[in-house]
Amino acid sequence: MRRTTLIVLSVVCLTVLGAVMMTKGDEVDPTPQTYNPYPPGILPSDLSSELARVRREVTFIENEAIAEWHALPPLKFIGQPPTIQGSGYAAVRTLGKLMNFDQNISVFKNEACASCHMPYAGFSGPIPSVNLTMIAYPGSFRIRAGKRTAQRYTYSPDFPVLNYNATQGTFFGGNFWDARSTGYLLQSADAEQAQHPPVDTQEMGAPDTACITFRLSQAVYRPLFEAVWGKGSFSISFPSNTEEICETPGGAAVFGSNATPVQLSPADRARSNAVYDHWAQSISFYESSPAVSAFSSKFDAFLAGKYNMTADEMAGYKLFRGKGNCNSCHLDGRSTAPTPPPPEGTAPGSEDTGAAADTRPLFTCFGYANLGVPKNPRDAFYYQTTPDAFGFTANPEGFAYTDFGLGAFLRSGFGSAPNPNSSWTKFASTSDGRMQTSTARDVALVPPQCKSTDAPGPYFQKEFFHNGYIKSLKQLVHFYNTRDVFPFSVESGNCPAGTTEKVNCWPAPEVPQNLDMTIGKLGLTDTEENQIVKFLETLTDGFTTPYPDINTYTGVCKTGGNASTQGNSAIISAVAIRALMREKP
Amino acid sequence: MNEIVQKLFFSAAALSLFCSNSVVAQTSPYRPKEILPPAKKAARVHITLGPELESAKSSWAIIRWTSNNPGGSDEHFGVVTYGTDPGDLKETAKSHIRLNRGHPCTIFRVRLDGLKPGTTYYYRVDSMEASGTSDGVKSPVKHFTTP
Ligand code: HEC
Ligand code: HEC
Repeated sequence: MRRTTLIVLSVVCLTVLGAVMMTKGDEVDPTPQTYNPYPPGILPSDLSSELARVRREVTFIENEAIAEWHALPPLKFIGQPPTIQGSGYAAVRTLGKLMNFDQNISVFKNEACASCHMPYAGFSGPIPSVNLTMIAYPGSFRIRAGKRTAQRYTYSPDFPVLNYNATQGTFFGGNFWDARSTGYLLQSADAEQAQHPPVDTQEMGAPDTACITFRLSQAVYRPLFEAVWGKGSFSISFPSNTEEICETPGGAAVFGSNATPVQLSPADRARSNAVYDHWAQSISFYESSPAVSAFSSKFDAFLAGKYNMTADEMAGYKLFRGKGNCNSCHLDGRSTAPTPPPPEGTAPGSEDTGAAADTRPLFTCFGYANLGVPKNPRDAFYYQTTPDAFGFTANPEGFAYTDFGLGAFLRSGFGSAPNPNSSWTKFASTSDGRMQTSTARDVALVPPQCKSTDAPGPYFQKEFFHNGYIKSLKQLVHFYNTRDVFPFSVESGNCPAGTTEKVNCWPAPEVPQNLDMTIGKLGLTDTEENQIVKFLETLTDGFTTPYPDINTYTGVCKTGGNASTQGNSAIISAVAIRALMREKP
Repeated sequence: MNEIVQKLFFSAAALSLFCSNSVVAQTSPYRPKEILPPAKKAARVHITLGPELESAKSSWAIIRWTSNNPGGSDEHFGVVTYGTDPGDLKETAKSHIRLNRGHPCTIFRVRLDGLKPGTTYYYRVDSMEASGTSDGVKSPVKHFTTP
């Protein structure tokens, strides 16, 4: 009965009514597809074929990386300390690329990093229907899924190790929406980040970091790993049940709370840890390379005096720095001129160097803010309330789960990771709801054939903000502009009659605490919003030099509709979800 | 010099509600030399516009005002002390505001939650750095009534 209400409320649900979770058989996927806690209409109907498509694309790029490896000159260590002269950068980055596109690392050998981060989406989520609906990407064990959007990792290596800045009274650096990858051990937030997904229960799902070492020891590119990091890297005696353990997903009841079920001697464990560190560092070096973080956008050409912005782009840029006030958080590197001495004045921001402009602005301050994004009832996380075949339940809280972002991490809370610095715990409540100020770079990057993120297209459906509530860049700018102009004390899917969600109705923030008020009522006109979108598009890499692997998308582009209401037909009612979840046994 | 900057800014502010419009003059192509200096901390930080009620619902309201540049930490707070008795403003609301280093002035907006419908509230505003150091702007006591 309640289930019917939900379906009626959602157009998308209607279109897939009666469809089973998997509409098409997926011959190539070795995963047992055994977990489906989702009510009808939550998973996109093309999920199985889309996962298969991405797997083919990932394999294609992995093969390309193998060819790049074979094309490397012989690696020779020269000098003291020994350095791979000449080809060291290329070797480590090629290794990182091989790892990034390697599906064998995951528990069921069906998911690489790239499965959720493809080049043609600016290294964010590659499946339009997932971006439109469930927002979180399926893990190796189908269909567990995470809870947030797959962030672009372009420029993520530029984020410093997470630190608390006492002058600013806030945190800077770290990776992930909630900063939980601090970088405290490897001294790189981004390298440390690469150690999370392989053992994330809802992502690649390995039960022990030693499983990654074990799989790397079987990888075709093992010789490259050994050439870079040392011949003895894999001199580890793995117990005979290692494969058996490594093909059982993390979180399985059989492991209890044991994070190291692969039994290794202390010396072998240390070797395995070293391999896992080198895995992380190699991947990070690939991510910081021009193949990912390219600085090859129109905007970069503009900075170099080699591109004249169109009138709309320039107007958008002025708005970004002016009335839109976007660059107060998405720093555009424009404010580094000398500070006049007191008493005349001091610059706001004590770290001002007086040096020449940052000619490579990153469009982030590396900080965290709560923009007041509404809860997204579409998020696949809410539905994983029952145990899967391995006895693992991703989200016992169901729809009551609230994403407190940085605050949850600081208090080592549910849904985040342990905070390695107890002196920060006291900042948890003033950090609730805060999420990483992502770089605005490459937010508009899409497969070339799709041209745009925004309807009427042809467009490639992306998802924006940490929970994918926003579906087009037009909506993103409109949110900043009008959050406090059209506020309603409702949840998504329940805007009052006569209003249109995301146009003249914004549901209440998921986390009302610590709301940022720099934004919310900017006074931008409709045209000005569009100009800011045009400007955001100038931040797309691949203008001055082709972006590697951008042409690997083999899916379709969408057309039709308009950017303001893009994706609205997929909205489901929070009220109906609550009722449905209560009804569940 | 500072005076000229301020005068320019005041005239711009008078022309437009958006204090930031005065700093966006920008030519193409961009050259590092054209970079505008960061906004200076004004000799005397004061309110140039407002405070006023931006919007009110039955249980919450937003107060808005503009200051010349307070300087100090980029992370700033707008602060509103308020209450139903003009002689006793016992509640405090703070909202996050990020200063823009390129802007000579800052729009502060503070959200007051937990209000009662049909009630008149009196308020006064200030702003402060992340450390809690006040910018020293004190507005007169004003009031609004929730619907
Ligand atoms: C199942 C999908 C999935 C897989 C597989 C996956 N990621 Fe992610 N990635 C995400 C999601 C979701 C986030 C944001 C998570 C969060 O903040 O909680 C993310 C965030 C990141 C970030 C943070 C970017 C930033 O700006 O802070 C980086 C870097 C990254 N992923 C790299 C990787 C690497 C490297 C791998 C493989 C080792 C990988 N991802 C595997 C989904 C995935
Ligand atoms: C107060 C700081 C702040 C201001 C001002 C700000 N942003 Fe953001 N921006 C953020 C944060 C924080 C996020 C991530 C929020 C989340 O996911 O919850 C973000 C995310 C983004 C993203 C990336 C979204 C994604 O999914 O990758 C873009 C693009 C963006 N903002 C553009 C803008 C534009 C355009 C403006 C001006 C109209 C603006 N921002 C003003 C803090 C800010």
